[in-house]
Amino acid sequence: MAEQPLETDDIVDALPKDMEEIFKPADVPAENTPTPRGDGNGPVVLRDRFVLDTAIPLPHLDSPSARAYQAEDRRDLGRKLFVLICSPEIPTRIDSIRKQKTLDPSGRLDIIDWDVVFWPPLGQSTMAIIFTQPLGGRVIHRLTRKEAKITEYDVPQKLATPLTTILQKLADQDAPHRAIRPENIFFNDEEMTEIVIGENLTSPPGYDQPCIFEPIERAMSHPAGRGVGTSRDDIYALGVTIGILVLGQNPVAKLKDDDLIRARLEQSSYTVIFGNSPIPLPLLKPIQGMLNDDPAARWDFNEITNWLDGQRTSSSKKRPYAFEKAENPYLFQGKEYISPRSLAYHFAQKIPDSVAAGREEAFDTWLLRSLGNKAMSEAVKGVYQNAKFHSQGYRGSESYISFILCMILDPLGPIRYKNIAFMPDGYGPLLATEVLHNNNKPFASEILSYDIGQTWLANHHPPFPGTSDLQKNLSALKGFLAIKDLGYGLERVLYEINTSLPCHSPLVLYDYVLLIDHLLPAMERSASTADTSQRPVDRHIAAFIAARFKEDIHPHLKSLGSKTQNTSIIGLLSLLAFLQWKLREQPLLGLSSWIGGLLGPAINSYHNRITRGDLEKEIPRLVRKGSLPELFDLVDNAKRRNEDISGYEEAKNEWLAAEEEIQDIEGAGDARITKAERAGQQTAAVFSIIITLSVVIGLMIVQPW
Amino acid sequence: MVSPFTLNGKKAPSLITWMWGAGLITIWVLFSPSSLLIFALGMLPSLVAFFIDRTDHKYAVYCVSGLNFCGTLPFLLKLTADHSLSAAMEIMGDVFTIAIIFAAAGFGWMLFLSIPPVITAFLTVITETRVKSLKTIQQRIVHEWGGSVIEENGSNKGMHTDVEDPTEANEGTPAVPE
Repeated sequence: MAEQPLETDDIVDALPKDMEEIFKPADVPAENTPTPRGDGNGPVVLRDRFVLDTAIPLPHLDSPSARAYQAEDRRDLGRKLFVLICSPEIPTRIDSIRKQKTLDPSGRLDIIDWDVVFWPPLGQSTMAIIFTQPLGGRVIHRLTRKEAKITEYDVPQKLATPLTTILQKLADQDAPHRAIRPENIFFNDEEMTEIVIGENLTSPPGYDQPCIFEPIERAMSHPAGRGVGTSRDDIYALGVTIGILVLGQNPVAKLKDDDLIRARLEQSSYTVIFGNSPIPLPLLKPIQGMLNDDPAARWDFNEITNWLDGQRTSSSKKRPYAFEKAENPYLFQGKEYISPRSLAYHFAQKIPDSVAAGREEAFDTWLLRSLGNKAMSEAVKGVYQNAKFHSQGYRGSESYISFILCMILDPLGPIRYKNIAFMPDGYGPLLATEVLHNNNKPFASEILSYDIGQTWLANHHPPFPGTSDLQKNLSALKGFLAIKDLGYGLERVLYEINTSLPCHSPLVLYDYVLLIDHLLPAMERSASTADTSQRPVDRHIAAFIAARFKEDIHPHLKSLGSKTQNTSIIGLLSLLAFLQWKLREQPLLGLSSWIGGLLGPAINSYHNRITRGDLEKEIPRLVRKGSLPELFDLVDNAKRRNEDISGYEEAKNEWLAAEEEIQDIEGAGDARITKAERAGQQTAAVFSIIITLSVVIGLMIVQPW
Repeated sequence: MVSPFTLNGKKAPSLITWMWGAGLITIWVLFSPSSLLIFALGMLPSLVAFFIDRTDHKYAVYCVSGLNFCGTLPFLLKLTADHSLSAAMEIMGDVFTIAIIFAAAGFGWMLFLSIPPVITAFLTVITETRVKSLKTIQQRIVHEWGGSVIEENGSNKGMHTDVEDPTEANEGTPAVPE
């Protein structure tokens, strides 16, 4: 459906003032929010099978980002089920849901089904995931209440084996759990013999994890930006979980997150968390191995299997992570820092001060003499020289200097930019949080525009897992960001990188449109309440379609983004019509009516007024059919369009020819009269000659010679 | 040497033409002085018309001389009975003869003066009808295709764009039933 040339801008521009208002683009129709469906309690039915009871919450099965309610299977009433109602504000992990649904459920809570449902207590739709109920409850609660006990001898078989098995299965599917913590470990049976891990689907990876259960680089990150991670991160969390379950308590529960992170950075995670705790001897090495702060040196599944099988582990893996420490501390804002990593952690929180401190001679002296790291000193000097050279650009800004400075001081740490730290594989959820909840669009854009992620990845040694894919993705996202048209920009980046993010257009916000198939029905519902003088496609909807719809819609987006009103409205119609046609959507009466009312400029793009009249008469009939493809075919039929264009050209030429002839006639003036007089004189002369000849011939005939 | 061109650019008769004319008249005088007399006197109105009509085409001369000749010819034919100079003088001495010849020439003048206004009026009516027809065509085009037809042509060709577009006002969006 190629864009047709349109030539009636002048007509559209000549619209009355009140109609111009109607045709103004509605990029961000903030006020155009459909009324949320009224609340009311009562059961909700999922897929005509599962009854979700809004009146029976199950708080003991709540997740940090989702509330639990009782669920019932109509086909198997004896089955104990519960549903987790996800927070609409937090992206879920739909890829993991799909993977886990096909995976053997042993070792974890079994996913029965999932879908987007309208949840009356929230007054909007949201994601609901149904699980089988773990009948034995949370392990940590049972241990706390002394109803169960896990000794160091029980750990390998009862705890470590099932958890390792399921974590390995998840790792094989490239979907690490990232939510391993004591509160998320359950007894699957009432007899408390089988241990399973809880869900990890209701929030981004690591989002709900207290920082003690995250490896140090991810612990320093924003909860939304901790990243998908790898099985090594699960193994770290498993080590901490085992330690806490065996001890029956968190030994550093009273420590604030900041203090815990600083201590871990300066002394190692194991030393800080379990260094002063009576960890049983048989578990000492495994926990030390699993808590190693060097991901490469951390235990992997082979080591754990060896340990569970009673075999010895390799000596290289036993070495704890060697921290770089200075001989003398560096004083920054009244606190002493002995490790460049912990200094980087605090530098990132005080950007102007840290940038000023980094310039000082004292800092360089500390790097050279106390830390003995000449390369680091040279690199820091290079940062400031580079900033001086690029003083007018972003490379000379304090935020960028701070980012580079922190990266030099802590190469293994997260990306730290503008007071926010995140891992490159956690950029998606972080972007969603910053853009949608904190409205921090500049931060999100600058990460891509200034190649923050690319720079970090290029400087990470050893290479960060999945570096090439991440670099490729970041480049593609930067390309999307650079285009400001509808269907691109930051919104496109948002939906491309967050496959589980519902559409955040105010028009369909309450419908939790997660899949492209849900979009048109949601728009149809919003048509009855929304302000139909506004356009039904805003930046979020256009970007959502572009990211989720796996067909080439570039021509539609190009047309939609046109500054010409008629081209833009035809682009809008063609896009939605293509969507309805491809998705075999049911008739969309409300949406057709809405768009039909906006087609003024498209109709006016035809030159022929008879054609316009015909279209205006025909549109209501097609609107009643609810068919956007037919509506589009009516408004932008190629044959009709070409006939209109060629007819218009002919009409112009005909008008011009007539005008020239009129001007010839009217412009002649006296010459025309002279010409007429001359013609009269000629006529008189000819008439006279005829008479003469007649008379001469007559006389010759009658003359009696 | 005589210039072959007059002041108004018209080519003057050459010497040979003059000689041919003189020769013919001489022969005519020798063979029929009576007819020459009647012709010369009878065709005087045409000579006058020749000098009065200053136009290139000399349509007045055609009109006057033609009918002037018609008036003269019957009296020339009378010489067939008596081809003498006295008969010619008698004919031309008759006032009635002179009246007929001059009336014929006058009729020629009348034709020359009365036909052109009639023809002019006729052509004007035809032209006005054509202009009206063309303007009707233009109105139909504008009615069907809109005022942009005029504006584009007007801006491109420097045309006047005062043709009224009765339907130029926007007709609004179509009525769509809810």
